Amino acid sequence: MTDTLAEVEETVDAYLKRSYDAQRRHALTRCQGWDRTFLEEIADLGWFALAVPDEADGLGLPLSAVGAAMMSLGRHLVPGPLPERLLLPALLLRHLDGGGSDRSDLPGAVVALVDPAAHGSWSVDGGHVRGEPAGPAGSMLPVRFAREADLLLVVAESAEGTAVHLLSSRGPGVDVEPVESADPTARLARVTFAEPAGAGTAPVLTGSAAERFVTELRAWAQILAACELAGIAVGLVAETTAFVQVREQFGRPIGAFQAVKHTLADMYALASSLRNLCDVTLEDATSSSADELLMLAAVAKAYAADAAVRVCESAIQMHGGTGFTTETDLHLYYKRALALRAWYGDHEELTHRIGDNLLTGPQLAEPRSTS
Amino acid sequence: MTTMADPALAADLTQYRTQCRKWLAEARIPEVPLSLTERFRVLREWQHTLYEAGWIGIAWSREAGGQGLTHLHQLVFSEELARARAPQPIGLIGLDVVGPSIDRFGTLRQRTELLPRLLSGEDIWCQGFSEPEAGSDLSSLRTRAEIDGDDFVVSGQKVWTSWAHLASWCAMLVRTNLDAPKSRGISYLLVDMSSPGIVTRPLTQMTGDQEFCEVFLDRVRVPRENLVGELDGGWAIARHTLGTERAAYTLRRRVEYEVALQDAIDELSACPTRDADPRRGYRVRAAVGRSHVALRVLEAQTRKTIGRLAADTGPVPEDSVDKLLLNDIEQQVYGSIADLLGPLRATPAARPLGLDVARWAHDHLYSRAASIYGGSSQIQRNIIAERILGLPRD
Ligand SMILES: Cc1cc2nc3c(=O)[nH]c(=O)nc-3n(C[C@H](O)[C@H](O)[C@H](O)COP(=O)(O)OP(=O)(O)OC[C@H]3O[C@@H](n4cnc5c(N)ncnc54)[C@H](O)[C@@H]3O)c2cc1C
Repeated sequence: MTDTLAEVEETVDAYLKRSYDAQRRHALTRCQGWDRTFLEEIADLGWFALAVPDEADGLGLPLSAVGAAMMSLGRHLVPGPLPERLLLPALLLRHLDGGGSDRSDLPGAVVALVDPAAHGSWSVDGGHVRGEPAGPAGSMLPVRFAREADLLLVVAESAEGTAVHLLSSRGPGVDVEPVESADPTARLARVTFAEPAGAGTAPVLTGSAAERFVTELRAWAQILAACELAGIAVGLVAETTAFVQVREQFGRPIGAFQAVKHTLADMYALASSLRNLCDVTLEDATSSSADELLMLAAVAKAYAADAAVRVCESAIQMHGGTGFTTETDLHLYYKRALALRAWYGDHEELTHRIGDNLLTGPQLAEPRSTS
Repeated sequence: MTTMADPALAADLTQYRTQCRKWLAEARIPEVPLSLTERFRVLREWQHTLYEAGWIGIAWSREAGGQGLTHLHQLVFSEELARARAPQPIGLIGLDVVGPSIDRFGTLRQRTELLPRLLSGEDIWCQGFSEPEAGSDLSSLRTRAEIDGDDFVVSGQKVWTSWAHLASWCAMLVRTNLDAPKSRGISYLLVDMSSPGIVTRPLTQMTGDQEFCEVFLDRVRVPRENLVGELDGGWAIARHTLGTERAAYTLRRRVEYEVALQDAIDELSACPTRDADPRRGYRVRAAVGRSHVALRVLEAQTRKTIGRLAADTGPVPEDSVDKLLLNDIEQQVYGSIADLLGPLRATPAARPLGLDVARWAHDHLYSRAASIYGGSSQIQRNIIAERILGLPRD
């Protein structure tokens, strides 16, 4: 990990250690991550500007900086549209014509992501967004923070190619219907495009520019999910290590029993190797080609999807009955990890795609979801 | 490969890599024969060839006959050697395990007389640590050495001693003090394997190879000048030996697994019937993908190891995380490939999916040893829990 990335991670971690405790976490999960005051607090700290280019008054750091921030946010389990705010404006501004100079609204906007590929091979059940000449059509379930967002970033694929739209979430033809969410950190909704969605507004990216953007978008979505999962895993190892030293049974701390020690050792090996993999991925991502980036991202997410969930499950087991309750925050970490697990592909789906790529050449891009 | 803090070193390593490649491209790389004695002879010659060309003992001191370069140079060569599909020299126990400890703790005479011969392959070394009653609990070892004039007189038994039947020297742990606590009564001796009173009996491994032995010692006389370090001070040296073994071994093995997976991918890619049955095609892709992910995890892990090697931290508890991951990943990779042999794994001459059954079935069996030797996976977990996480000791 480079010094800059380590610094970003430490800055975020230090602030959260100081100003974000279990009580705040509970308050934020009660409103499922939607709290404008909190978002303003974070915006004032400058985190959302980390990877926004200099020209748009950002800090101009590489996108890897967002990954470093996500590790700390995952460790403290901070709800809200944080990955969206950290990544989407920064990424869009890199791809829009003229550096997006006419989109000064972007850095401050909450952008919700409507990309059926997030569901991998489940997109048949969750999303049928397709590109039509007049604009995107179909619907997707779930979309994080669609109701609350200012803008929807819509990836619409068709036989003619990919188009990226940026639509007002309250504009004509866009129907957003909140649905119950089992992710304690996010509000969810179904987004339906009743034609003509976004009438009169042209896509912001088309053709090969859209393809390039979407490739990067998906890779970074995977990398950020892996980083958040790494944070979750590292956080739970620390928490569980502390717990087994104070909880006593048979007259001894349970951490003295070898079955417990070995479980903790395995959790440590999983969490620290996942963390190392994320560090290396962030380091390498900055200098890699599009094909390499796809592979790096898929590998990181594949490992994270498996390793972090295993760490969560061991943490629950090591806490005994308490681990099964809502008295500790373990269940929040676990539910978040489960929600992230299949987001842009779980380990089964991705290892399969990686294998295919190695056997038959680059095909890592999501299969086109033209239905 | 790595993000190197020092640009001069990075440039030097790049240049060194070019030299390695060039030499390996022109070298006559030997075929490895199946029979053990033939293999031993060929690989010993290969070690001599490598030694003459300056590729052995790369990170060793010059007095000891080494090249006086860094561990990173050694790593570069190991990587290139594996990528060239060239075999390892035969004397790895000497080169990676016991030699570095002798170089560090030995007397000037021991270092200058014994180490150049170790490097050149003239002397093959073995490591006599484990005993029938002292495996994981190594410090309970019982082989006795009593002082008699200018000699130690050694009696007892060693086991699992790799290459003992072919070795000319053994780095042996012996008990020299019965009154001191277990680990404070152990000394580190260099034993000439041709001494009277030594009998070796090879044991057959599940791979069919006879790489390790029982070693029986009956009143074997060992000159006192063959003591390494202090009398009763052998335990610290043994810990150094085990630690050195871990870091160097991890780095070398990682590249070997990568080369192995690439070979499997090459065999699988060339197989026209790979997708003839979609169920099997699915499994092939999953096995390759899973193995690749595992190897990337190992690569990320070893970048930290390289950092420690570059900073010369010596053995640390984090090495145990490397060892645990390494064992797991070796077993995962070879297990995944071997599963693709299907029912034909029982017929070594077959080539299901284009895979070489004899090779993959052998290497898969061999992978089962990984979590046993050099400190079992259970022992590594104990170390992680106690020394890294600070959980109570047993
Ligand atoms: C291929 C191979 C090559 C080898 N080469 C050499 C060599 O050249 N020189 C040499 O000296 N040795 C060598 N060894 C020996 C190796 O180091 C030992 O096998 C190893 O230390 C384990 O000892 P053991 O076999 O006596 O098993 P044991 O120590 O009896 O262990 C049996 C089982 O009990 C578990 N166990 C033991 N203690 C604990 C504990 N405290 N907590 C939890 N679980 C525990 C172990 O993990 C293992 O699963 C080699 C072994 C192999 C397999």
